[in-house]
Amino acid sequence: MAEPSSFEARLTQAAEISTRLKKAIGTVLVGQAVVVDQVLWGIIAGGHVLLEGAPGLGKTLLVRTLASCLDLQFSRIQFTPDLMPSDVIGTNMLAMEQAGGARSFTLHKGPIFGQVILADEINRATPKTQSALLEAMQEHAVTIAGKRHVLDEPFFVLATENPIEMEGTYPLPEAQLDRFLLKVMVPNPTEDELTEILQRTTGHEMKPPEKVLAREEVLELRSLCRDVAVAEPVMRFAARFVGASEPGRKESPELIRKALRYGAGVRGAQSLILCAKAVAMLEGRAHVSFSDVQNVAMPALRHRLIRSFEGEADGITTDQVVAELVKTVPTRPEAVEAAVKKG
Amino acid sequence: MATDAGRFHELFERWARRVRTRMIVRQALTWTALGLLVGSLAALALWKTHQGALRPWMGAVGLVGLAAGAIIGARRRWTDMDVALYLDGRLDTDEVITTAVQMRNEAEADDEARAVVVRQAADALEKADPKKVRPPIFVGDHLLIPIAVAAIVLVARMPMPVRPLPAAPPGSDKVQLAQVEGLEKMAALGALSTPDEAQRERLKQLAERAKNLREKLRDGMERREALSEIAKLKDDVAAERLSLGDAERREGLEAAQGQLAKEPSLKDAAKALGDRDLTRFDEEMQKLANSQEKADRERAKKALEEAADAAKKNGAPDVARALEEEKKLLEERSKRNDALKDLAEGFGKDAPEDLKKDLEEMAEGGTDKDSRKLAKDLGDALEKLTPEERKRLGEKLREKAEKGGMAPMDKERLKDLAKKLATPEGQKQLEEELRKMANEDTESEESKKQGALEEGEKGLGEAEKQLGGGACPMPMPIPGGQQPGGPPGGDKGEKNGPPGSGKSPPGKADGDPGGPGSHHDTGKGDHKGGQTPEIDSKGFRSRASGKINSGAPMPGAVSGRTTGKPGDTAKLRGTGALGEVGPSEIGGVERSDIPEEYREQVGRYFSP
Repeated sequence: MAEPSSFEARLTQAAEISTRLKKAIGTVLVGQAVVVDQVLWGIIAGGHVLLEGAPGLGKTLLVRTLASCLDLQFSRIQFTPDLMPSDVIGTNMLAMEQAGGARSFTLHKGPIFGQVILADEINRATPKTQSALLEAMQEHAVTIAGKRHVLDEPFFVLATENPIEMEGTYPLPEAQLDRFLLKVMVPNPTEDELTEILQRTTGHEMKPPEKVLAREEVLELRSLCRDVAVAEPVMRFAARFVGASEPGRKESPELIRKALRYGAGVRGAQSLILCAKAVAMLEGRAHVSFSDVQNVAMPALRHRLIRSFEGEADGITTDQVVAELVKTVPTRPEAVEAAVKKG
Repeated sequence: MATDAGRFHELFERWARRVRTRMIVRQALTWTALGLLVGSLAALALWKTHQGALRPWMGAVGLVGLAAGAIIGARRRWTDMDVALYLDGRLDTDEVITTAVQMRNEAEADDEARAVVVRQAADALEKADPKKVRPPIFVGDHLLIPIAVAAIVLVARMPMPVRPLPAAPPGSDKVQLAQVEGLEKMAALGALSTPDEAQRERLKQLAERAKNLREKLRDGMERREALSEIAKLKDDVAAERLSLGDAERREGLEAAQGQLAKEPSLKDAAKALGDRDLTRFDEEMQKLANSQEKADRERAKKALEEAADAAKKNGAPDVARALEEEKKLLEERSKRNDALKDLAEGFGKDAPEDLKKDLEEMAEGGTDKDSRKLAKDLGDALEKLTPEERKRLGEKLREKAEKGGMAPMDKERLKDLAKKLATPEGQKQLEEELRKMANEDTESEESKKQGALEEGEKGLGEAEKQLGGGACPMPMPIPGGQQPGGPPGGDKGEKNGPPGSGKSPPGKADGDPGGPGSHHDTGKGDHKGGQTPEIDSKGFRSRASGKINSGAPMPGAVSGRTTGKPGDTAKLRGTGALGEVGPSEIGGVERSDIPEEYREQVGRYFSP
């Protein structure tokens, strides 16, 4: 990637790269444009993404295709109930030197030592194994036998989970979920999309997509994303948005007070701003708008909200709660909002 | 970069000033609307609580609102960030201006992103359409300003509401009327013009009293008091109606009446004058003015003149004035009627049907109303004439004038009419004159006054009715006696008691005892104890020429007040008992319309 001469040129280039990447993914994956966009936000913002959807919707295919498009080291971990933490992070193995017959421990790196990690069906592993990911996801490092090993950047985990077949699964604990920047729901394809899927998958095997993004370019995009400006009122809006998700607050909407036990918290606010920056950057803007924050609210917050018993009993989903927040939390001060509407 | 920053700063400051000023003005207007709304409600409350004088001042609350709005607007002045957010909202610029304003204050963050944001913000402001972006000064809330102002004006001009009556004490009968139409007629008497200063003053006082009563009724008063005041007003109006030639001027009135009665054509007019009915008197004079015989009119004029002289000599200047006015009017009316008739007759057989009918009515002794109608129809007929017809009419009038056998004055008049008809301009002038005549009010001043007083009296009757009074109470059955007006009993009157009292207890009655007035006293009893004292008077106290209830029996019971015409009854206030008796009133009972069987009784009643 050529060094852009100015910030604006870099922004334009970032937008072009994003278009290219989406196009490359589109050669393999049919539809799911929103899912691709959201995954892209996660990668650019430097976070991990949890993909949830029924089997066969292309979750794994998306991650594999993405890894193919990025010139990064790809690892796949198929989570099963008998998967051990060491299977994820690796372990020290006793090895015998052939010459002298001396024995020593050598590090056998687990699949976590990749750059794009596909944690497939993450909810099938035991919490113990799931927790093995915690340090890696948060610190971008693992500790094996007391020795800390820093993982190569860029590092991101793309986990998938299946909302059906819940028997024998271990729902991710809140602390684990919180590590994911975004939770992306993979919808069922439309009739047109399904028709095209059938055309592509029932013929000859297709060629893998070409690599469109090098490691440096990914790092550059992440850096550029951090440079995007956010005005104080927009930050305040994000804070107000997350604050309104706290059921204990008087100013929170009635639905939130009724349906939630815990709100989004600090990580939620951070993910809102980071993802909004990514959105702004991919649209070629050097600043974040209120609508950027509102657009990313759903994938950024839906997995951070913990429903109350009443909410669960009434079947209120966290998506409904976020939609309510988008509807009710004002962007501008009341007087300004009124003037904008009257004008 | 520096250029972009400077450009952005300049543009933003200009916009900020514009937005802030307009917001302050808008705020001031909103508070004005609020103030005026409060003011209008306060005015309404004042109206409701009968504090009418303060109502117009409630408009000042709007000014207080204006001042408060301006102060609040200035104190809650929008920050730069608020202005930027507003501009972003209006321009749909995804908060680029807001971000630029924030970055403008962070000089140390002189990064590349800042340059891009500031430049984009400056471009956005530069391209902004002022009409789209500037906040409107007037918003929907400001519609309240004209509405509230109109409400204040309306409330300020609204008549005060009727005060609610306090709880009436037991036994009282309060009445509250917002509108009493009848009293309005009385109030109109104040505007009546009469040559007599004293009378004008009296009429004004009557009108004032009626107005006071109206106000009191609006606030609520005892029904009994209201009816009593109306009855008093009725008495005073009746007295005023009959004030012509009253008291010491009565002799003058009688003298004038005597003079008029000498002239046969003025017999009815003399009677009307005697009754002080000047409206009828005027009508009689109108008929006379229309008389075919010129000699009659001349005699009538002379008689009027003599009557006026007689009135003057006998100390009744008001009567003399009325007669002189009538004489003058008689002359004018005669002249006018003659001219109209001449012109109408000039049409001959070709006259329109309306005109013929008018002439017939005039011949039957028409009044001013008929002559006005004739004038109007003549004007219309003239307007429709072709030039030939007009010429022919002129010729006819000229021929009639030259035929001879008429007074020089009449000749002149006919010639004048013919001359006018000779030219279209003259005809136009004639039409105008006729139209003027048709609308002319020729009623005499006295007649107008009389009419107004009659109206006032009627109005009082209506008011009385509205108050639930005025109806003649039914005669009360008297224990042991007959109903009033019933057949006389068989009492022979051989008991002590004043003659005619009818209260003698039944003696050897062979029938049921009668009630008061149902017995015919023969006067054969012992009259020592019931001697009627002699009245100390020069002559009769009243004239018994009562036309009341002609042909009908006298009422068995009389209650309330009557208008008090002479001869009605001498016991009630009116001119009968209180006025002087004129010479012509002697023997009045015999000449009156009183039924034969009552004459003796009435005559005894009035004898001194």
